[in-house]
Amino acid sequence: MTTATVRPRQAGALRLWNAPGITRLRREGAVAPITAFVAFFLVYVIINPGLLTRFQLQTAGNLVVPLALAALGQLIIVLVGGIDISIGAIMSLANVVFATAMVSLPVPLAILAGIAAGLACGLFNGYLVAYLRLPAIAVTLASAFIIGSISREVMDRPGGGITPEFYLATSGELLPFIPISLFWLAVIATGLWFVLQRTALGRHIYGVGSNMDSVSAAGLNARGAQLAAFALSSVIVSFGAIMLAGSTITGDPRSGDPYLLSSIAAVALAGASFTGGRGSIIGTILAACTLGLVGSLLFFAGINSYWQYVISALIVISVVGIPVIWKKIYLALRKANS
Amino acid sequence: MESQSTGGATAIAVAPPAPPEALLVARNLTKHYGAVTAVDDVSFYCLPGEVHALVGENGAGKSTVAKMLAGAVAPTSGLITAGGVTLDTGRIRDARLAGVACAFQELALVQDWTVAENLALPDGSPLRGFSQRGAAKAAEALLSGLDLTHIDPRAQVETLTLADRQLVEIARAIGAKPKLLILDEASSALAPPGVAWLFTRIRELTAIGTSVIYVSHRLGELAEIADRGTVLRDGRVAGEFHRGSWTENQLISMMAGREASRAFPAAPPLPVSDRAPVLEVENLVAEGLNGVSLSIKPGEILGIGGLQGHGQAELLRALYGAIPASADGWSIDGRAVKRLTPARAVRLGAGYVPEDRKREGLALEMGVGENLLAPWFRPAQLGGAPRLASEKNWMSGVLGSLSVRTRGPLEAAGALSGGNQQKLVFGRWLDRDRRLILLHDPTRGIDVRAKQELYRAIIDLSASGVGVLWFSTEVEELVHVCHRVVVLYQGKVADELDGDRLTAEAVVGAAVGSASKHKGLS
Repeated sequence: MTTATVRPRQAGALRLWNAPGITRLRREGAVAPITAFVAFFLVYVIINPGLLTRFQLQTAGNLVVPLALAALGQLIIVLVGGIDISIGAIMSLANVVFATAMVSLPVPLAILAGIAAGLACGLFNGYLVAYLRLPAIAVTLASAFIIGSISREVMDRPGGGITPEFYLATSGELLPFIPISLFWLAVIATGLWFVLQRTALGRHIYGVGSNMDSVSAAGLNARGAQLAAFALSSVIVSFGAIMLAGSTITGDPRSGDPYLLSSIAAVALAGASFTGGRGSIIGTILAACTLGLVGSLLFFAGINSYWQYVISALIVISVVGIPVIWKKIYLALRKANS
Repeated sequence: MESQSTGGATAIAVAPPAPPEALLVARNLTKHYGAVTAVDDVSFYCLPGEVHALVGENGAGKSTVAKMLAGAVAPTSGLITAGGVTLDTGRIRDARLAGVACAFQELALVQDWTVAENLALPDGSPLRGFSQRGAAKAAEALLSGLDLTHIDPRAQVETLTLADRQLVEIARAIGAKPKLLILDEASSALAPPGVAWLFTRIRELTAIGTSVIYVSHRLGELAEIADRGTVLRDGRVAGEFHRGSWTENQLISMMAGREASRAFPAAPPLPVSDRAPVLEVENLVAEGLNGVSLSIKPGEILGIGGLQGHGQAELLRALYGAIPASADGWSIDGRAVKRLTPARAVRLGAGYVPEDRKREGLALEMGVGENLLAPWFRPAQLGGAPRLASEKNWMSGVLGSLSVRTRGPLEAAGALSGGNQQKLVFGRWLDRDRRLILLHDPTRGIDVRAKQELYRAIIDLSASGVGVLWFSTEVEELVHVCHRVVVLYQGKVADELDGDRLTAEAVVGAAVGSASKHKGLS
């Protein structure tokens, strides 16, 4: 099919489907999670039209933004063929370091301190994985315990010096109409998109996950790209931790824990390949939004919230499974026609 | 200083000093892997604008030498200078910066990337910008400059045929505008037009003073393209040659260290048998196949010819049940086939040697013995040491009859050289009551001696009544060893050749279309 020298003119819908941007989304597995999110969003709005009010939208935004950032951090590690078990712990550490720093330091320095703490964790993981060639799952599992202990050492019970002004700037009503948390998410995601899609480094990160040997044989610095991925991931996760601190107005040494499994689930839902090399930013964000809102949807639908996890699991399985089944049907149809 | 000239190709003892204008000088290169010496005291040089061939059997060390030149492997001792720069870091990046680019035998393309990304990303700083559109445009310019307009720069590499991937790999190396281009078995997946394309490119490069190191098994190509060459044997320099001063048999005996010949063994006479054909298929349709009908008698060697990408790979996969296919009539060893899966094909008596031994053929981390036994493990059977012990006789018989060079059934399959790996994929079907063996270019990229051993094994199979379906990119093999050759063109049988009509010209003629086909008929 790639050897066709003359590409025939295609009908409008088909041409859109084959447009370069859409092709890339398809290749990265993002079409299914985007479709799932649209369907989910419609169902949500039908059951609870109040979502579109200012207050509810803001609450929903504050709920999903830390998860979306944690999922993006997980995505970057998955892209280089790893998995990050320490993502919750990094989030907790950045969260408590930031909250503690807010007591005495001005806000920009406190943000820098939180990010530096997260970045140190990412560099530690990345060095062990990229340069000592240890398996990512073992390294991050071990560092999860270490980082968890450090965060409890920094702050042993919820607290910290986060101000109401900071809440307003990250999670409140600073902007008219749109929730400010979604604005910050968009800024960070766009920055990440730029790095991954518009710099050579980003493409190296995809390439390393796709085939480490090929990339090294092509003359790239594969280990450097792996280390950069871990560093980038920890910075994104630290932003998530700061957003979380802003919306809860506290630092909490356990605050990151629930995000570990949800971040992996969101990456799976986003259609990313766990062997690396394939995964989309927009797909991951929307997957995180879907999973993050399942609980509140059930609340509004009047269903026992214990079912939240069952519904999340069904969403993941069906969204990952439908493209596979669809492909089978498509091939069978083509065979029947020929 | 001039060493003895025995009819042109010379066996030398001392490395000649390199002339000062040499672009590449390799002096006393040695590489140890643990206790194994892969390359021992190899010296040669390459002048600007010259094509220097590296020849040798598999395991002779020529790929290791190529890797050292390319910077993929650091030499244990010795010196490489390219254009005055010393290369000793073992980092490909440094070699590329020094103007040395290599098209690797094991393709170094990222499957998930598009052609454009693969062409654009290796060079330069990781911190520079990147855009899909710009990369596609640059790739389009590069590919059309190299006369490769049939490759879509936006296509993902994994959707390309093996031959096209190899073309992209070569294009990437040329695109780096190297002073020294290393082609490591670069023609192994290419059909004759692809090889002709490659030679045109090489001549363009040498005309502007680029040197080319050409590593190949195909002696016919060397006669055409190599200005000078170095023959390696067991990691050492066995001799040198220059254009027009050698014959194939001389080179082969230098490579093998013994008198050998490139002669192909002839197929044994077809046994007269009233047994049903081992394979009969009528109007086989699958992706890339538009109605192929075949019949193979017991003991017959049926060759499949044609250019790559005309349905040969699909034909073999479909006949083994590895891709969905349907036919009007289909039987293996007289038993009707409806829906075939590989497991069912094995039960019916078929065996398959796939195209890519590393990806489809072997579990590289597992042992030689377990790889041989792979098709014969049934879920409820014993595995591990007891099974290996009970199959010991069969395994040593197979390893012995194919002369597989291995430390034994427990050695990891990935540790073997390419030719020996190929013998494993082939050997698992020997002495296992097979009726039909499907071969996908089993002699691709393996050395002369291993080839001869495989020919021998194929003929033994035929003599014992097994039908063989053999797709090869090397036309000479088909013409000499097969009873009959079917040439595919655009997923259909273009011509069927046997007896006097079975000539290399007829096979190539049918492969490039129907125009020359009728010449054979008249």
